[in-house]
Amino acid sequence: MMNQGGNAETIAPLDPNSLENRYNINANQGQTPSYPPLSTTGSEASSWNIHRTDNSSTDNGVHSHSTYQYDQQPQPPGSSTSSLGTVNAPQDYNSYASYQHSSDTYGYGSAGYPGYYNNYQQQSNTSYSQPVGAYQNTGAPYQPLSSFQNTGSYAGSASYSSTYYNPADYQTAGGYSSSSYNNQTNAWSDGNYANYTPHQYSQYTPDTTAAYSSSTETSTSQNYEQHYKQWADYYSQTEVSCAPGTENISVTSKPNVGCSVPGATTGYQTSDSQLPPPPPLPSYAPSWRPEPSPSELPSVQSGAVVIGAHDGYWNHGAPASQSQVHHNSSMQQHIQKPMDEKASYDSFQDHQKTAFSQAPNMQYPASQQVPHASHTYQSPLQPVPSHASHTYQSPSQPVPSHASHTYQSPSQPVPSHASHTYQSLSQPVPSHVSHTYQSPLQPVPSHASHTYQSPSKPAPPIGTQRDNKLQIPTNPRITSNPTFGLPKTDKDSCTTTAAAKPAYISVSLPKPVDKVTSSATADSLLKPGMFPKSLCGYVERALARYKDDRQKAACQSVMTEIITQATADGTLYTRDWDTEPLFPLPNEDAVNKEPPSVGFSLQSSNLVSSLPKYKRSPNKRSKSRWEPLPEEKPVEKPASVNNDSLKFSWMNVNDKQRKPWMGSAGFKDGNTSNGKFTPQEPKNGSKITQKPFKKQRLSYVLSMVENDDASSDSDKEESLTAYYTGAMGLEDSPEERKRRENRSRRFERVQGHRAQNNHFKPKKAGGGNLYARRATALVLSKNFEDGGSRAVEDIDWDSLTVKGTCQEIEKRYLRLTSAPDPATVRPEDVLEKALLMVQNSQKNYLYKCDQLKSIRQDLTVQRIRNHLTVKVYETHARLAVEVGDLPEYNQCASQLKSLYAEGIEGCYMEFSAYNLLCVILHSNNNRDLVSSMASLSVEAKRDEAVKHALAVRSAVTSGNYVMFFRLYKTAPNLSTCLMDLYVEKMRYKAVSCICRSYRPTIPVPYVAQILGFTTSTPTNEESEEKDSEGLDECIEWLKVHGACLTVDNSGEMQLDTKPTSSSLYMPETDAVSHGDATLAVNDFLTRTPL
Amino acid sequence: MAYLSMGEAHRRITDYLNRFSDAVSTQDGASLKHLLSLSSNSPALLSLADALNIFQDFNRLIKQSDNDSQFGEILVHLFRAFQSYRIGNFIDSYQAFEKSANAFIQEFRNWDTAWALPALYVIAYEIRVLAERADKELASNGKSPEKLKGAGSFLMKVFGVLAGKGPKRVGALYVTCQLFKVYFKLGTVHLCRSVIRSIETARIFDFEEFPKRDKVTYMYYTGRLEVFNENFPAADQKLSYALEHCNPQREANIRMILKYLIPVKLSLGILPNDWLLEKYNLVEYRNVVQALKRGDLRLLRRALEEHEDRFLRSGVYLVLEKLELQVYQRLIKKIYFIQKQKDPVKAHQLKLEVIVKALKWLEIAMDVDEVECIVAILIYKNLVKGYFAHKSKVVVLSKQDPFPKLNGKPVNS
Repeated sequence: MMNQGGNAETIAPLDPNSLENRYNINANQGQTPSYPPLSTTGSEASSWNIHRTDNSSTDNGVHSHSTYQYDQQPQPPGSSTSSLGTVNAPQDYNSYASYQHSSDTYGYGSAGYPGYYNNYQQQSNTSYSQPVGAYQNTGAPYQPLSSFQNTGSYAGSASYSSTYYNPADYQTAGGYSSSSYNNQTNAWSDGNYANYTPHQYSQYTPDTTAAYSSSTETSTSQNYEQHYKQWADYYSQTEVSCAPGTENISVTSKPNVGCSVPGATTGYQTSDSQLPPPPPLPSYAPSWRPEPSPSELPSVQSGAVVIGAHDGYWNHGAPASQSQVHHNSSMQQHIQKPMDEKASYDSFQDHQKTAFSQAPNMQYPASQQVPHASHTYQSPLQPVPSHASHTYQSPSQPVPSHASHTYQSPSQPVPSHASHTYQSLSQPVPSHVSHTYQSPLQPVPSHASHTYQSPSKPAPPIGTQRDNKLQIPTNPRITSNPTFGLPKTDKDSCTTTAAAKPAYISVSLPKPVDKVTSSATADSLLKPGMFPKSLCGYVERALARYKDDRQKAACQSVMTEIITQATADGTLYTRDWDTEPLFPLPNEDAVNKEPPSVGFSLQSSNLVSSLPKYKRSPNKRSKSRWEPLPEEKPVEKPASVNNDSLKFSWMNVNDKQRKPWMGSAGFKDGNTSNGKFTPQEPKNGSKITQKPFKKQRLSYVLSMVENDDASSDSDKEESLTAYYTGAMGLEDSPEERKRRENRSRRFERVQGHRAQNNHFKPKKAGGGNLYARRATALVLSKNFEDGGSRAVEDIDWDSLTVKGTCQEIEKRYLRLTSAPDPATVRPEDVLEKALLMVQNSQKNYLYKCDQLKSIRQDLTVQRIRNHLTVKVYETHARLAVEVGDLPEYNQCASQLKSLYAEGIEGCYMEFSAYNLLCVILHSNNNRDLVSSMASLSVEAKRDEAVKHALAVRSAVTSGNYVMFFRLYKTAPNLSTCLMDLYVEKMRYKAVSCICRSYRPTIPVPYVAQILGFTTSTPTNEESEEKDSEGLDECIEWLKVHGACLTVDNSGEMQLDTKPTSSSLYMPETDAVSHGDATLAVNDFLTRTPL
Repeated sequence: MAYLSMGEAHRRITDYLNRFSDAVSTQDGASLKHLLSLSSNSPALLSLADALNIFQDFNRLIKQSDNDSQFGEILVHLFRAFQSYRIGNFIDSYQAFEKSANAFIQEFRNWDTAWALPALYVIAYEIRVLAERADKELASNGKSPEKLKGAGSFLMKVFGVLAGKGPKRVGALYVTCQLFKVYFKLGTVHLCRSVIRSIETARIFDFEEFPKRDKVTYMYYTGRLEVFNENFPAADQKLSYALEHCNPQREANIRMILKYLIPVKLSLGILPNDWLLEKYNLVEYRNVVQALKRGDLRLLRRALEEHEDRFLRSGVYLVLEKLELQVYQRLIKKIYFIQKQKDPVKAHQLKLEVIVKALKWLEIAMDVDEVECIVAILIYKNLVKGYFAHKSKVVVLSKQDPFPKLNGKPVNS
């Protein structure tokens, strides 16, 4: 919401037209929503899945459509599309429509379309709610938008579609909208692309020609759907769209879409017949976005290209988004145009152009390119819609908005068209484009907004166009990427992208154009930017039909011919490429054709193994991208915008689910663009959106466990990168990666939340790609971890230093798990009493240890280091030595060492001796021994205890057991206790030695004496008694260790050394489950508190 | 220091810059090395340092020099290091030098060949020496000496640069040795393990291909590590390698090796000639050797006491202390020989009293039980063959080889 508000503000200033502004705002809102949408998308994905299922049950085609539209859906759609075809399409459309609607709603709502929006929203809401809690969640944060989107698509797609469509229709034109919208909706739901296309077409048709849409629509839609499916959603869409454009241009070189062409046409028809184009728009928008950029031109041309485009989209995330935006914008423009049919076309064209040019740089463009683009697109679309659009375009062309339109169409020939139409309907104004895009998270909304805008702002269109141009730059990147064909595409895209960036900045048309051209050339649709979007779409469609490169090549050549011809006879820009039937597949193509969907899928597969993924993601991306892009474009800060858009797009790209993100990003961008062009704004926007997202996240998370597409930007990128790298080599140029990383980093830095949001969103969207999901999840976890670690590092320990107030002397030790509570910490004077209490206590060691540990803890948290501290540690160390608790002793000893080093007085000598004994007896490390010996001062060496310890060391190193046990008897202080721990070992060694050296026997009493069981010289009865006890003990010990004892003539017990030397063994100490045989079970239990 | 004109200072600095860029452009590692050896106190560098202290704006000169632009990072900090070094501020000098060295490493990475290895050696050496001096200065200021630790991690980085494949690997052992020096000085010898592993497990590079001086140094330090571990045969092998390959002119180095090799050899039963101890000024071992020869326990204890600090510092104290058993063996052997002269038939039956008497004569007060224990240990460790009859308090020696010689084998533990 904040975003929206921000957007609105920004927008308002920027856009002269209040409507536009509103739209923008709406768009922004929509974007925000779009975030939600993203999440929604996620939910959508799920819902989509459901829908898909539904669709599948109903009609595969439909499902696929839906999928396509939604990124997540894309894949499923693809499948569904292929299978279902027409019937499903409607459903898909519905879903799409709803999505679009949601976006539209957003835009509209803000604009004043409110009513429409409301309708949409309501519908969408309902649908959303129906879809799932997840949606709601998303929706909640995003609110209307997300909910709309989700709902729309997911829920009753039909109902939604109708509603949405209606709105769309309203916007665009009564007739169009309703019918188109409905159709669109259906189309959207079915396959965004397919639907869109049809819708667009229909819209166009309506405007231009009803015939186009109606006639073509059906087939087109089907085709599209299939295409979409194949492409994976976006890709397929893109391709399709491209195909259209291409078709005309390249002509159908492949007709990419050729397949799509027919499909396109049909699609158009469908849209016409079914619903008007509006729904298509939305779907288109999304699809277009992705497609546009990629396909947009070049990429569109060939299936490969398309794929590349998709990849590019993905890779370029940003570009994709931009392209999407463009598409949206175009949509908007289209919409506007619809108002003026031409305008809409123009906008489409513009969009296309933008998309194409994107990189190229808005500059060119805007108008020129636009027209071209539009023409191109149209040509692609030509089939029917394109023609219509062409017509429109030509009229509108003049206007910049056209450019934007063109762009859109280029990006996704069909879808874009549809979207355009919608846009035009909904948003006449160009700015809309961006807005539209944004809102578009779902094309539809954006379109709507666009449409509105256009109406509201005639002039704006120009501005829009400019914006578009700006956007275009971004798109170009995307486009360029896509353009290049799959393999080529990647490289090209890289280049393009690179170029595109500059283009953005410099707005140097040349580069983009060149790139575009190159890509176009490469693909057959050499100059996408130059061609109407519809043409591009046509080309894409045509190319999309072909799986393999040969076919594509053939298709390209054919398309080239067609385009050349069209150019020659001046119909390039006037032809409705959207509706232009795809040329029959050359040879093999024919075969392929029949299964355009199959072909597409094949192509996609051929192009990139990961295409499906890409496709999906592209779709999502494209949507979001588009949205962001438009905004960015408007901003006029190509560079910054680009970045933002890029980021956004990336986000989107990463996951189809990201669409929401994209949307959000778009919103942000839009905001920025509208009001502030600053790149940072996007961040702000994102932040703002983030909050909602977070909220949504929870819900999303809950609902969307599966969705992983969305991750943070970085995550997305990472996942994408990984993805791409793994699956495809397409756009993984180092440069791009770097860019992506940078982009993502930016986001991360600026918006940690965002990233998180993204993650969540992806999750929601997750429905789309499992891979993406996983990647996202990983990323998420990483991020979270990072965040956690940071938090820990940031803790200010000083602030946690406590002054205790507790007066209780006795306190149990409890390991702190949080900042200490002063009320439970004892001050120094109380601790002194506590120490005394412990020293005088008659209780056992465990109690004392527990008390001492709590005293130590209180000292530590209060940072008390003085004589009391030393006393406490000394007391504890002695107690530990007494009971042989070495671990505790070592803790105390190390503390004492540092305390002594600080100059605090204590029993230094005593503990030096202990430490020496510890090293000698228990660490068996010569280096430590030498260093601790070397560190002894002369004074220390004179100390009795230290001397004793050194003597022990000597006895131990030489193995002099006699000396050892003598020292054992005379040990000062607690040294005996430490030596106790070594006695067993020493005795065993001694007996081993004795058994080896003595023959034949050795008297046990002697052994008992030298091994310390008895004193050597009994002086009185008492000691004698003791000695007899000691003797018994020794006998017992020897027996336990396997010694062989005999009794000689005099009755004295003898140790028979020879047999003993081989039978001696070290008995295993009784194993106690709690590890300490000296510890009673009860004590052990009391020792582990709670 | 005589007054230096600005012009002269300027001339000296530009001259240095020119020489530096010439050395780099001609890939003349030997020349470059001299330009970097901070602690060599060469007149050229001292005068440069003086010039730098007068002509403070050397940054400008560095920037002016086109060829040096890419080495600006190196030179700026290097000049600062010179400046601080000249005025005796080793802490600052170290810090500046470390920055310069880091920049140099960056460049070094980019050079395909190993031409700059001599310069890198100098840097590795200088950084260690500077760190030691800086630590001394820090310690005298009451601060915690930490620069050597920092130098250690820097050298570890350098090691990483060199340790891979390729021509630069030849330099890895030099850096390893510098690391050893740092770790031994810091008392963190356990850190050597990883470096040793990477040197000794690398199959791609034969150890013998390293420069001899590095091999000697490496063997010296790893031999010392084996002394700590009381793995005397391995220590003997490594230290002997170092001694064999050490430049005979480097008596100080030979002495350092012998300081560890002699105790190791002693514990293997091999005694050095007295002239060797004389020649290398290792007289602290003389009494030890004498004690071993004579079976004079008192002499050994005195020698240990006398040089306790030294032996503790070098870490051979425990090794020498363990020679006591050999001294006991020698003593009993002597008694045996004397007894044999008197009464060959009963020579192999040694009365415990005799041994106690002998020890008493050596002014070592040990009662029968203790001596009995010692004898038992000697038998147990196979320094004496035979058995002890407790009833009669007699050591019964084997008639064949009752006092086996160690002959290079360690005493059984």
